[in-house]
Amino acid sequence: MSGPALPIASTRLTRANWPVVRAVAWRNVRLRYKSSLLGFVWTLLNPLLFLLIFLLIFSEAFPQVPNYPVFALSGLIFWSFFSTTSAHIMGALVENSAVLRSLAVPPMVFPLGQLLAGLFNLGMSFLPFAVILHFFGRVPHLTDLLVIPIVLCYAAFIMGLSVALAALNVYFRDIGILWNALLPAFFYITPIAYPADLIPDRLRWIVELNPLYHFIAAFRTVLVDGSAPQVGTWWILVGLAVVATVFGSSLYKVLRPGFIANY
Amino acid sequence: MMGTGPMIELNAVAVDYLVQRHGFRSIKAYLTSFGSERLLERKRILHDVHLSISRGECFGIIGRNGSGKSTLLRLLAGIMEPTEGSARIHGRVAPMLALGVGLEPELSGWENVRLCRLLMGHGTGDESGVNDYVRTFSGLTEKELSMQVKRFSTGMMARLGFAIATATDPEILLIDEVLAVGDVAFQQQCYQRIGELKHGGCTIVFVTHFLSEIQRICDRAACMENGTIVKVGSTHEVGVHYHGLLGIPV
Repeated sequence: MSGPALPIASTRLTRANWPVVRAVAWRNVRLRYKSSLLGFVWTLLNPLLFLLIFLLIFSEAFPQVPNYPVFALSGLIFWSFFSTTSAHIMGALVENSAVLRSLAVPPMVFPLGQLLAGLFNLGMSFLPFAVILHFFGRVPHLTDLLVIPIVLCYAAFIMGLSVALAALNVYFRDIGILWNALLPAFFYITPIAYPADLIPDRLRWIVELNPLYHFIAAFRTVLVDGSAPQVGTWWILVGLAVVATVFGSSLYKVLRPGFIANY
Repeated sequence: MMGTGPMIELNAVAVDYLVQRHGFRSIKAYLTSFGSERLLERKRILHDVHLSISRGECFGIIGRNGSGKSTLLRLLAGIMEPTEGSARIHGRVAPMLALGVGLEPELSGWENVRLCRLLMGHGTGDESGVNDYVRTFSGLTEKELSMQVKRFSTGMMARLGFAIATATDPEILLIDEVLAVGDVAFQQQCYQRIGELKHGGCTIVFVTHFLSEIQRICDRAACMENGTIVKVGSTHEVGVHYHGLLGIPV
């Protein structure tokens, strides 16, 4: 009766798995643009292309928005972080099923690796973003640093939600298909390309119920208006992060025992 | 921690799989029941498994398709937990349940060595020793190892996979019919490395359909049927039993 019974502990995530998470995240960063000619430049180019389309189509449509490019881009960058990262995390368990079936790796390593890769790409896209902001006459403020805690809440929210989707996706691949169909709908429902004031007051509650709206609005308060979000907003952001994390991790815990037979 | 006691002890182990039930009716049943178990069906894959494997032993497991061999190896590898009973594994396990698993086609050979060893639970210490071993064992040139793995042939992948899995001496090596790939020379090389590890005191559990492979390298063996171990003994005894099951005269 000496020595630990290793299998019991080995598929739960511990601090010892950190190097694996990091290596998986780096692999994801490398793979995202691996066989393309421009490679990493796409991370930077993608939001710019989007912006160009926006400028062509929408800037005339919303004359009430003072600095439309800055407004649009500050929404777009965080929207694309949400859409790409949630889709990648959602597929992370199923896509690594071969490894999960034959090595004692905690499954959570793969969603976490995708989250970190997404955060890395987000950080990188801040570079051209800063240049554009500057070009459109915006001066840096100290309050800009408030983006960091908002990103942390946002990342926790995305992780919780997407881990729940990833766990369900192991059993029902419909989840993946459904999510990819829903994403464009979320894009139009959320005030990203247009200002939230355009929504009539009687429909306002729909916007308020949309978690993404609160995050995007907070980012804009900091980056477009150059001020700090109100205390109430912070409570909402932290609350969303906590609820999503608790939801995601409990669903994951319930569904995990059956992963192995359903990958 | 290393005594003369058993390296692997399974006591009355049972393993259940939760399998999804198909069809719309079950989702409806689930939504109206508010439980998680209804959506998933419990299937018993292993039952009443008792097994004790000593340190330094090379133990063979034979059985028909679907008899539970791979599930047993997954249990030993720590990929699954026993639903009932106790499983004690007293050592560092190197699983080789599939060769080349975790190899990422877009990354280079060397990048894969690093990534796969991390995935297998080896640290990154002694990298130069590992790299030397990978180079020697795989017989791949420096140029080939710097290439993307997607340009490798199946044989090259198998060599790289085996080299990665056996680069540092494990205490317990689990092998699941992975040696069927590759040419005869590669198989010879693998058996030689397995022999070396065995000499160095490594405990080996070897799963196969082929009796000849078991008789070639194993000290003792077990035969599985319908999710449990039906016979444990010398490779000869187990062979006779297995042939009896298949209805083939020995």
